[in-house]
Amino acid sequence: MTAARRRVAVTGVGMVTPVGNDVVTTWNALLAGRSGGAPITLFDASGFSTCIAAEVKGFHPTLVEDRKLLKFANRSHRFALEAAEQALRDAGIRPTAADATRWGCAVGTGMMTADYDDLAQTHAHCGNSGEIDTDGLLTDGPANDPLVFCRGQAAEGLALLTRRFGIHGYATSVHTACASGGQAFGTALKLIRRGRVDRVLAGGFDSMISPIGISGFCLLSALSPDNATPQRASRPFDATRNGFLLGEGAGFVVLEEWEMARARGAHIYAELAGDGNSLSSYRITDSPPDGDGPIQSMHQALADAGAVPADVDYINAHGTSTGMNDRSESAAIRAVFGADAARVHVSSTKSTMGHLIAAAGAVEGVVCALAIARGEMPINANYRDRDPDCDLNLVLDVPQRQKVRMTMSNSFGFGGSNSCIVMRHPDEVDGRGPDGTKS
Amino acid sequence: MTMPKVVITGTGAVCAAGMDPRTILQFVLAGKTAIAPIRQWDTTQWPTHLAGEIADLNPRALVPDRKLHKLIRRTDLVGLYAASQAIDASGFVAWRDALDPAAMAPYNDRTGAIVGSGGGNFQNQYDFFPLMTAANGDMHAFGRDLSDNVNPMWLLRTLPNNVLGHVGIQYNLKGTNACITNHSVGGTLAVIEAMEALRAGEADRVVAVGHETPIEPQMVLYYHRVGLLASEALRPFDAARDGSLFGEGAGALMLETAASAAARGAAVLGEVLGGGYVGEGQGLLAIRADGDGLARAIAMALEDAGLQPADVGMIVAHGNGTRQSDASEAAALRTVFGAAMPPVTGFKWAFGHLIAAAGILDTVLALEALKVNVVPGIATLHNLDEACAGVAVAAAPTVPRSNVALILCRGFAGTNAAVLVRAA
Repeated sequence: MTAARRRVAVTGVGMVTPVGNDVVTTWNALLAGRSGGAPITLFDASGFSTCIAAEVKGFHPTLVEDRKLLKFANRSHRFALEAAEQALRDAGIRPTAADATRWGCAVGTGMMTADYDDLAQTHAHCGNSGEIDTDGLLTDGPANDPLVFCRGQAAEGLALLTRRFGIHGYATSVHTACASGGQAFGTALKLIRRGRVDRVLAGGFDSMISPIGISGFCLLSALSPDNATPQRASRPFDATRNGFLLGEGAGFVVLEEWEMARARGAHIYAELAGDGNSLSSYRITDSPPDGDGPIQSMHQALADAGAVPADVDYINAHGTSTGMNDRSESAAIRAVFGADAARVHVSSTKSTMGHLIAAAGAVEGVVCALAIARGEMPINANYRDRDPDCDLNLVLDVPQRQKVRMTMSNSFGFGGSNSCIVMRHPDEVDGRGPDGTKS
Repeated sequence: MTMPKVVITGTGAVCAAGMDPRTILQFVLAGKTAIAPIRQWDTTQWPTHLAGEIADLNPRALVPDRKLHKLIRRTDLVGLYAASQAIDASGFVAWRDALDPAAMAPYNDRTGAIVGSGGGNFQNQYDFFPLMTAANGDMHAFGRDLSDNVNPMWLLRTLPNNVLGHVGIQYNLKGTNACITNHSVGGTLAVIEAMEALRAGEADRVVAVGHETPIEPQMVLYYHRVGLLASEALRPFDAARDGSLFGEGAGALMLETAASAAARGAAVLGEVLGGGYVGEGQGLLAIRADGDGLARAIAMALEDAGLQPADVGMIVAHGNGTRQSDASEAAALRTVFGAAMPPVTGFKWAFGHLIAAAGILDTVLALEALKVNVVPGIATLHNLDEACAGVAVAAAPTVPRSNVALILCRGFAGTNAAVLVRAA
């Protein structure tokens, strides 16, 4: 069955993250564990129980200088356009009029609607009583501004990307909270396998570092309150972990049908080899302590890739640094890997760049592709105190450098969706290295 | 490798025209419209005031579990309601629950849920207004007084994937899943992705759901400002059409592999034969006048199903009533079907445009119509627009050419979907 199945190559990567506005800067920060955590600068967050986050810093869209297009783009859309352009440039291929219908686009998109400044304007105009004055909306600025409308639509990121890059095939945006990015990769993989398209621009983007976004997480006590030590706030799997560090950004890849990528001599980072996708059906915000749910997604992803736990060298964990997630994920890894859990290297790059929510799975997918191509695994930063419930072989202090045959990336979302993405080293596919030479 | 056949074992629907598929179809066949003045807020001063609201929506009638009500929104209520109808109608859960507990797990892991959801909204953000008033522009006070003024569950109520999460918890479904936030095509894409998941062996059963309640003041105002709303009535393909009107509600289908349905002796209502889906990539609101994307989606669906245009017995058009969409839809239909066009209908005129739920509700109703061998008429159609010439629509009901229906669905970002179903 798998013999006839089309394989999928990762041939381009792009990232805009709290620790770098491009791939190289981000990667170096992840290897060194240079945290992106800092006091929030985007607004006065001093009154919130958590007033730190991992913001994207010094960002100006430099690759997509289309002022007309950018008027329609909110902060997360700008991250997306930039990271997608990086990925396409890196892949050295982009849609043309001749093959536009053979390109797809699959993105994990955030849940925010109106920007806070627009909401504040509407509040001042027709919400000051504490309730909306609906007639007042008729003369309100943002409520009558088509640009505000477009920027707030869930499909706007997709609209901007497909227009900007001329993609005329399957185009979809998915949202399963923190699993969104991973599910977008999984969707893209299936599209190429089905033969619907030959190439997909896939990724995720999000920005919830706003008064409303921070509020939502503060109300749930999901964020680390370590305001005095933002760089240490995210410490996945550490016994003293106390919540996640909110990040923002975008990650994108160019995916291509394997033979077509080889035929054009593309640099292949990795094979996107398997996708696993399950529901925990436990509680909306929690993972089951025994790892049920994530266990199934990990098993499925391995089976889908035609692999077994012994093939995996690196797990980029969901590792949010919340008590519940890290315990549940550790249990799941141990259940799936058994004795191999002592060997397989694990790190959560959220320790460095924070939790990018709908973009997390996409950025971490890029990290896995880089780990394979570069033969190095980023560290799980900030780890000091062992938690017996999180007994994993973490990459600590210095990057682990070795051939990485296979990676696994976990993403689990509010709502119970679990995504697991497996990638494979190119020479494990066809005995040839990333550049196509026999190894 | 032969792909498994994908069958339909349960359907569910709710909208302004009724609380189940059969009632809604009867309502449409009676030539009535459920579109009426908006009741959720006073629209006396508004430039637009029509929509297909579900009258006297009773949350407890839709979702009996009262604990859930503070965790979800109106859109989730209708989505969970339709999903429950489809799952209950399929008899799967009752059958599974009669098994030995140890035997249930594989069925849970092999049953998925794929949902098309509206994504963000504006109204939910007004929950912050009391806090903003109290803070009076002082962001420090906003942060400090947050938990005194805003429901701690606010973020959870806002999640676009609530129906997915809660339908999973309610029925203990643990398989493949997705929440598609792709404007109007979300529900249709849920059907297509569910079909593909079953074909690929990722699951044995998937409930596909689409839900949306877009009738909120700021959303209505935006659609009006960008020129998408009708002044008096939704008249698909009519020369006098001047826009669409919102409806609200949900549709759901329980899909299974034929083997899964046969193994438990389930009644089969129909079959999903194929799907096609593409984007035009012209921007959020722009669509091509030549119907390129829709024509490609239809051709893809026919090829996927191994059917010829002549095999199609009826077409449920997107027919949203806007000048541009209907004209380009007509162009696409002429491109694919030419002069041999089967009867065409649409349902939005009767209960409004349900956005993310529109296409899946249309799919449910198409099955219902095929079951009684009728193509419902479009009662608001008086004069077929010249730009829509050749589209075989009628004001009165006609008879389908076969038991195969083609359902079309279009959304923002230039997306176009086509699904083919056969009634049993």
